Order: sequence, then structure tokens, then C-alpha cells
Amino acid sequence: MTNIIDTIISVWITHQITLRTIQHLYMFSIALIISILIGVTLAILVYSNPKLANVWFNVLNVIETIPELALFIFLLPILGLGEKPTIAACVLYSILPIMRNSYTGLAYVSNEYVEIAKAIGLTKNEILLKIRLPMALPLISSGIRVAVVYIMGIVTLGGLIAAGGLGVPLQAGIYRYDIPAIIIGALWVGTLGVIFDFIAWIIENRLARRFNPW
Amino acid sequence: MVAILPLLDAILQHLTLVFTSLAIGICLATPLAILSVFYKRVSYLVLTTINMAQSIPSFALVAIIVPLVGIGFLPGIVAIVLGSIVPIVKNMYVGLAKTDAELIDTGKGMGLTDFQIVRYVRLPLAYPAIFAGLKFSAIIANGIAVLTAIIGSGGLGRIIFEGLASFNINKTLSGAIPAILIALSLDIIFSMAEKKLKSKSVY
Repeated sequence: MTNIIDTIISVWITHQITLRTIQHLYMFSIALIISILIGVTLAILVYSNPKLANVWFNVLNVIETIPELALFIFLLPILGLGEKPTIAACVLYSILPIMRNSYTGLAYVSNEYVEIAKAIGLTKNEILLKIRLPMALPLISSGIRVAVVYIMGIVTLGGLIAAGGLGVPLQAGIYRYDIPAIIIGALWVGTLGVIFDFIAWIIENRLARRFNPW
Repeated sequence: MVAILPLLDAILQHLTLVFTSLAIGICLATPLAILSVFYKRVSYLVLTTINMAQSIPSFALVAIIVPLVGIGFLPGIVAIVLGSIVPIVKNMYVGLAKTDAELIDTGKGMGLTDFQIVRYVRLPLAYPAIFAGLKFSAIIANGIAVLTAIIGSGGLGRIIFEGLASFNINKTLSGAIPAILIALSLDIIFSMAEKKLKSKSVY
């Protein structure tokens, strides 16, 4: 038992896992914030225009099918190695789930509410802010939850293109056949992924209970 | 640049990786999904595991395969199957479980056995959902197949990693572009199959 703990501690120190975790979460949060901003803004811009929305969704769908690593390769000549292409890839991937859910939430608010709001004299912008947006929150948050999982995965891959983060100990472990590093790194990344997904799930549930009109 | 023959070889290897894993994934997912439809406890267990597995980064999955299975082609397949089986099981389960209760009762009234109901009532009605899952799974499999090159599975990923190691942009691109084209064609092929099945299964 003490043996195992010793191994964990030594791996933790030699691979600087605390530092890597901080880098990881730093990239994660920046990517998440940017993609939420872009995704929700795009949804607000197109929610009253289904045709335009469809064009956007088709483009984003194509990006979604590209393997993450191949996307990195395409961003390399533009953004170089490191954090920038990693964050850009995260954003490109996670705009779609956020935007699609926000769009669905904003566009498919039950007509009754919109009619009532119109009847009491709210303008289109007020309807958006006071009716559509709050009622779309549960859906938006479930889109964000999907994005959280994507971003976790892609930030981990960032280790391969010198972005730092928790992909680095994994890569080093694979190249040097350092089994303790692989196991500890992978379990730690996996646990982080599950924890963040769980947090997002809790938030989603809260919002669904708070804003669910049915 | 990469010579054309090794590139073709890599593409072939890549497609083998993707489709073998898909086939294995389908074989594993079908019994799991069918059992989950009939036993509440199994479905709870399967869905919880799957939901958790979904939030594990694919790179972590590929890495943990090394101490457990080793390196090479077969471990690559194992990693791809583990990473891509989630949407297959999930959609198959949802498709099979959400069949209209009326139709199942009709089937029972006609004297169909449980197996026959699955085969002739639930399964045909679940085709659209199952194919949507397969499409998603194929795309994920393609992504992980690029990644498994790091544990020696070969394929297009190998060209990408070799290019990355020597910072040879042309080489990485010659691996990345076919991978993207394969992803797009997988998407198109499965979408077409999905559409065909949808028009057939509408009653």
C-alpha cells in the first residue's frame, strides 16, 4: 500500500501533475467561455431565421466530423504550436452543440408565452431577454454539458502539440513505456472528465427544475 | 511528401481499423442493448457505465490501453471499440425501448414470442435511431483511429505523427487530408443509408 502511494507521489512530482492540471483547467475554462459566448451569440443572431441557421449548422457539422488531430494539423500553419491551436480546436468543436441547443431553445419557445408577452406590450428584444432566454436556459446548459466533454478530450490531446496540460504526462508515459505515469495520468484525466461532466449535469438539472414551464 | 503507395497502404490500414472496430462494436452492443430493454437492472448498469465512459477523454483511453493490452494493431482496435461503442449502445437501446407500446401489444396479441417481437417489431422501428448511432460512432472511430497511431496501430495517424515529430507540415497534411476525406465520406454514406431506412420504416 505504501508502495503504491510512494509511486503515485513520485509520478506526481516527476511529471509535475499539479502544474499540468492547472494548465489543463486554464485552457479548459478559456475554451469553454469563448465557445459559450460565440455559440449563444450565434444562436441569438439566427434564431428568427431558420434558413440561415441551417447554413450554419451544415458548416459546423462538417467541422464536427473532422478528426481532432487532423484539425490540429490544419490549425498549425495558422496558429503555430501550443495553446492557441488547442483552444481554437476546442472552440470550433463545441460551438455546434451549444449553438444547436441554444437555437432550439430560443426558437421553439411555446407560442402562447410569446403571444402573451406581445399582448402586454413587450418589444422583440424584451421578449428575447425576458421570455426566450430564461426558458431556453435548460437546453443551453445541456449543450454546454456536451461541450464540456468535448473540450476535456481535446485539451488532453493538446499535449501532443506542445500545449501543456495533462496530455503531456500521457504522451511521455507512452513514449517511454512508463506504466505508472500512464495509469496515474489516464485515471486522473478520466476522473476530471467524469467530475466536470457531473458538475455540468447538476447545473443542468437545477436549471431544468427552475425554468421548466411544464 | 509521402510516396503514393505507402499512403494508400496507410489509408487501407486506417479503413481496416475503423470498420473492424465498428463491426466488433455492433456485435458487442446488440446483446447489451437487447438485454437492457428486458431487464431494468441491466439497463441501469449499462447506461450509467456508458454515460461515465463518454466523459473520459479519448487520449486517456488510448493511453490506458498500453499497460492493459499492449501496443500494436490489436490494442488499437480495443481502444477504438471502447471509445466508439457508446453511441451505438445508447441509440440502439433508446430505439428498441421507445417502441410504441400499442404495437408491442398487437404483436403479443398475434402470438409473437419475445424474440419475434424484438426481431420483427422493435428492430425495424429502431433502424433510424440505430443508424444515427452508427454514423456518430463511425466518426468517433475515425478520430480515435488517427490517435491510436501513437500506440502503434498504424494507419493515417502514423504519417501525421511522423510529420509532427520531424515538423514536416507537408507530411502531416498528407496524413490529415485523407483522414478528413474519410470522415466526410463516412458521414455522407451513413446519412444516405439512414435516409433510405427512414423512408422504408415509416408506417
